[in-house]
Amino acid sequence: MQVKVIFGEENLTEDIPENFTIKDLLKKLEIPSETVVVKKNEAIVIEEMLIQEGDTLEIIKVIFGG
Amino acid sequence: MNTCSKCGNPHIIIRRKHSGQNLCQECFIESINQKVLSNIRKTMLIEKGDKVLMALSGGKDSVVALHIMNSLQEKNVIDLVAVTIDEGIEGYREEGIEIAKANAKELGVKHRIVRFEDYFGRTLDKMMELDEINQNSTNPRHACTYCGVFRRWILNRVAQEEGATKIATGHNLDDETQSILMNYLEGNINNLIRIGPKTESRDERFTVKIKPLREIPEKEIGLYAIAADLNVHLAGCPYAGDSFRREVGQFIKELSENHHTIMYSTLRGFDKIKPVLKKEFTLKGNNGKCRRCGEPAAGELCKACSFLENWEQNL
Repeated sequence: MQVKVIFGEENLTEDIPENFTIKDLLKKLEIPSETVVVKKNEAIVIEEMLIQEGDTLEIIKVIFGG
Repeated sequence: MNTCSKCGNPHIIIRRKHSGQNLCQECFIESINQKVLSNIRKTMLIEKGDKVLMALSGGKDSVVALHIMNSLQEKNVIDLVAVTIDEGIEGYREEGIEIAKANAKELGVKHRIVRFEDYFGRTLDKMMELDEINQNSTNPRHACTYCGVFRRWILNRVAQEEGATKIATGHNLDDETQSILMNYLEGNINNLIRIGPKTESRDERFTVKIKPLREIPEKEIGLYAIAADLNVHLAGCPYAGDSFRREVGQFIKELSENHHTIMYSTLRGFDKIKPVLKKEFTLKGNNGKCRRCGEPAAGELCKACSFLENWEQNL
């Protein structure tokens, strides 16, 4: 299934399998989950949340190295 | 159970691995507000009537701290004034300043912007350029070393100018546990015993510094900023490269994956042994005065002025 992913300036369309969680998506995109907050259809969600067809996921980086 | 541990709301935004608590957006924001205010009381960071100078970069930590400290101003417990330091980092600092300004304006907090260039005659960018040209190219100092020294100098000076009784910074649990581990691993006991919720300098010319967010994990501060829809500067400093702090931070993060309470236990353990370490290792104070700027100094010059003189001699 396809979902829309917004990460910083990037707007992506990702193909993901059924029963994919936010945590799985972050792993696929190689984004460390402890550095981001994720919104699913504009609401903040936990990383165990299942993704559904047509969802828009916004990944907001809140922790920067330093 | 996937519902809020406090109100039963089915939409949770955090599952706290260290406590097993699930929280919805509203209860999470309230829990952070309460935790910070309770830490302030417990560690006696604030006295009624304090004038608090908030070091406001515009980043998530300082903006969250400003908003929570402002709730104490609204209750007439403290007077709050914010200061943003413009180090002169082109392409990075400008946005943070605008965001800091907007937050102070929104809350009606008095706000000052002070520049490295005005106090030291050069920006951080220029300092790094000079350092490359000068002798330090064989032994280069990290930008964070200069930035830290000059920022501390400015904060203390502005606190005096404003008549502030406390300086509040946005240091979080991750920062604090990194500092504990770094100084322990480096055997730097003098710096280790200075770590804590508030500085306890015997020299009255140093304004007391407080860390209201010391027990809040960095990730939760980021989550709070997004959940409370705060205007924060989300960007990394271009000078933040590979440092020992970063390595230690990475190590603690990896440990935390399977040991969820490791940052809290590091902090609690340290706070318990600190009084003993302090008693044993506190150096006799040298309450000298920098011959150049008049600020407190252990030697003839304070650290900031020793950097400045070094550059001047090498120009």
